[in-house]
Amino acid sequence: MTLLNIAVVVKLEPDFSEGSISYNPDGTLNRSQTKSTLGPHSKIAAQAAFYAKVKYGAKISIGTMSGHIANSALQMAMETCDAEVLHLYNDKIFAGADTIGTAEVLKKGIEKMDGKMDIVFSGHRATDGETGQTGPQIAWKLGFTFLGNVISYDINLEKRTVTAKRLLSLRGISDLIQEIEAPLPVFIAIDPSYKYYFSTASLRLTAEKYQREAHERANNYKDRLQTFDSEELGADKTLVGLVGSPTIVYDVQRVPQGKVIRHAEILDGSNPEHIRKTVTAMREALNAMVIK
Amino acid sequence: MEKYDVAIIGGGSSGLAALKQLSNLGKQAIILEAGSKIGSKNISGGILYSKKPKKGKVTNVEDLYENFLDDSPFERKITKYILHSTSKDKVYSMDLTASHEYQSNFGYSVLMNKLNSWFAKQSVDISQKFGGGIIPRVHVRSITWNNEGRTIIQTDEIDEFEVKAVIAADGVNSEVAEMVGARSKFTSMQLYQGVKVIVRIPEKIINERFGVNSDEGAAHLFAGDITLNHIGGGFLYTNRDTLSIGVVYHFNSLLKNPVEPHTLIDTLLKNSMVSEFIKDEIPIQKEIDKNLPQEEQLRIRFGVAKLIKSWNDTRRNYLSSTHDNTDELKSKLSFIQDQMVTKYGVTFGTDYVESEYSAKLIPDGKRCRMKKPFFKNILFVGDAAGRGIFVGPRIEGLNVGIDDAVRAANAVARAIDKNDFSQRYLGEYYSQLIDESPYTTDMNQIDKDYLKIFLDATKNVPKDSIGKRYGPILKLMSNDTLRGIAVKFVNILGYDKIFSMIESEDTYVKIPIQLAEKHGKIVSSSYSPNILSLAERIEKLNYTEDHVSHIIILKDSEFMKKMIVLCPAKCFTEEGGKTILQHEGCLECGTCSHETEWRHPRGEKGVHYQYG
Ligand SMILES: Cc1cc2nc3c(=O)[nH]c(=O)nc-3n(C[C@H](O)[C@H](O)[C@H](O)COP(=O)(O)OP(=O)(O)OC[C@H]3O[C@@H](n4cnc5c(N)ncnc54)[C@H](O)[C@@H]3O)c2cc1C
Ligand code: SF4
Repeated sequence: MTLLNIAVVVKLEPDFSEGSISYNPDGTLNRSQTKSTLGPHSKIAAQAAFYAKVKYGAKISIGTMSGHIANSALQMAMETCDAEVLHLYNDKIFAGADTIGTAEVLKKGIEKMDGKMDIVFSGHRATDGETGQTGPQIAWKLGFTFLGNVISYDINLEKRTVTAKRLLSLRGISDLIQEIEAPLPVFIAIDPSYKYYFSTASLRLTAEKYQREAHERANNYKDRLQTFDSEELGADKTLVGLVGSPTIVYDVQRVPQGKVIRHAEILDGSNPEHIRKTVTAMREALNAMVIK
Repeated sequence: MEKYDVAIIGGGSSGLAALKQLSNLGKQAIILEAGSKIGSKNISGGILYSKKPKKGKVTNVEDLYENFLDDSPFERKITKYILHSTSKDKVYSMDLTASHEYQSNFGYSVLMNKLNSWFAKQSVDISQKFGGGIIPRVHVRSITWNNEGRTIIQTDEIDEFEVKAVIAADGVNSEVAEMVGARSKFTSMQLYQGVKVIVRIPEKIINERFGVNSDEGAAHLFAGDITLNHIGGGFLYTNRDTLSIGVVYHFNSLLKNPVEPHTLIDTLLKNSMVSEFIKDEIPIQKEIDKNLPQEEQLRIRFGVAKLIKSWNDTRRNYLSSTHDNTDELKSKLSFIQDQMVTKYGVTFGTDYVESEYSAKLIPDGKRCRMKKPFFKNILFVGDAAGRGIFVGPRIEGLNVGIDDAVRAANAVARAIDKNDFSQRYLGEYYSQLIDESPYTTDMNQIDKDYLKIFLDATKNVPKDSIGKRYGPILKLMSNDTLRGIAVKFVNILGYDKIFSMIESEDTYVKIPIQLAEKHGKIVSSSYSPNILSLAERIEKLNYTEDHVSHIIILKDSEFMKKMIVLCPAKCFTEEGGKTILQHEGCLECGTCSHETEWRHPRGEKGVHYQYG
């Protein structure tokens, strides 16, 4: 059986949970003072990759663009999905990159990974000032089909296709689930609500086995860590870092307090007309929920 | 449908032993364990014994796990075993080390979370080789036999699968026994309720206080007024840098005279001797000035918390036997201490530090062991089979469960070889192996040599305190020949005929109180511990809540009313004359199980013990 070849791109993020965030006087994040961790969305991406490894058998490689302190994040990612290979893309000239500059580096990195990828996973988006564009941009650069907001997926190894459920939020309607099928290779940006589930004893045993292996590997993650600078990646200097980033940041604001906006209509439970209205609305909503 | 040779239900010390032995024999077996990870649901006292019986053979922990002595995370080898009779601040102590050492290679204090994870680790590679292993987070819901007689296991979490044989190692509150109708629920007569707390104390302070070195430990047992008139008593075992302190009372005596379990344990902790055993130096924070700006108050709160944490860690490290640099740690400690005092006005005082509260029922094997511990192709082992030994203050469940499990594994392996899983070939054979177990003998009859050790220990006990009823008996029993005859007589008559005499309030309450009052030494305590409230204890525990309750009240009986007092987590209350259950906070002890529909929580749900 040929194994699936899987890449996960992950991101080191400030650890908001610790309450240990630190800001510069100008209001931007002071990265050197803020504790870092594997971004929660990156962790979910790694979990999604682990699912494929347990269910179908896969070789997983992890890549990230970051300074050296990313090591701990790579270790965590390795422990989450039992990856075999860790890539760290690290170069001074990568600094100041926006999403497109980042995407270029990650694309180059993925191309450096052993073999051709079947699936690339990324998190939904980072929690620290990213707009969810990196994923689609990497997919575009790689020429892979992009599947965003994926809440579950399965693979047909014979047909070499993936079927995925996507969570769509459209204005005015509560969440929709769309089921799609796409040929490999694909780029999957995983939804934060993704949770894997192993439904048989044998899958659970396999998962336990790989989790133990992952734990061992993570303890010695340095054995599997490869670092690349821009030269080693063969990156075009005009496409990466600040130079390769067309975004202009014209203002930085502190995270605003969210305002709750809700439109409520008060209905009277003893009024049959109101009840009828409610039932109709609920029925419409239900009908709209699943689109195949 | 997937197929496996053997399913072991429950990954406590018994189930893990079954997996190890089956794997050693080259057989495929899987453990299904409801807990989030192995060890998270298991609690014990606990002293794990290795035994050398006069007659017959048992498989000890170090026989099954060859590297147990070199590598396992046991706590301390218990070298002192002392029974204290208490009455207020008076204590009369008797050294029972000889009884502890009787027919034993060793007795180690252990914490089940750590120990069971270690046991599990010893089996993973070898069980995997034969297609087996351990599956945590799965709760077995039913075992049925289909039309072709195949055994089907259903769980709350994964697809059903087929097995050839089952080993039920699901503990004292065995659902397997109930779901297949192998035995009725244990009664209050057959059970004890155990409640335990873990107290943290640095290693070197334990060594000094208990007069032991780092590899040795002490066990202290308590009877008398600390029982609040119940049959049973208290225990304190030294671990490496914690103490296991608990009370174990006959369920029947609790029903007769219901007292809240946490009150019973508090009474033990407040005993002046125990208070002195558990005390430690603790930092006391200065109240934060409420007039300070909010941000400043927060800054102080975090600052103090961080310093106290690092003070605790450093001190623990400094006072342990495993660090390399004493001087460096010492200066680090005094630096932190200095900062705490000067920056935040922290002072230091005496109190105790409690880390975990837990509870579980314990089966009394002489009253409830299954005479035929099997049903169809299911073999029951350890607590699930009601096999625990209570002799004097000693409880043996861990070693019994391990030995049972090896016997069960041997019987199953033999059945696999012959592909015969009939009751006759598998169950009856296992039952025979269990009958041959020296532990079964211990549950069946009094051992006159063991009795002698007790009598020897009580030789110096002034007979005037022993009372009219026991004085003459003790005198008689001190004579070797007469004792021999008496014990024989009792064993012919039936051991069970004399339980009520041995296990009486006289033994556990009255005589100890008299002894302490008349002959005890006064032990005074230099402080009074600020004992955690039940709410604080529950708050310290880790839970994964399940919105579905695993317990359903069947009827509003007298028994259920008593649960309002006897549930160690206070899950029952009365509302409008009805008993109401709130399952959140449940410790899964089983105390209420007799008159409820009682299940363990679904996989991964419920309480997760850190120590056990
Ligand atoms: C306070 C106290 C003090 C004690 N002191 C001592 C002592 O000093 N020495 C000694 O030897 N013994 C002592 N014992 C007894 C000893 O702890 C027990 O005999 C022993 O832990 C029993 O082990 P076991 O594996 O049979 O059961 P358990 O440890 O109870 O294991 C049963 C396992 O089965 C799992 N399970 C149950 N139902 C299901 C299901 N349906 N599906 C999946 N999993 C399930 C549970 O989660 C649990 O992990 C003491 C007990 C207590 C409570
Ligand atoms: S609800 Fe029942 S099982 Fe849970 S802690 Fe209370 S008595 Fe024990």
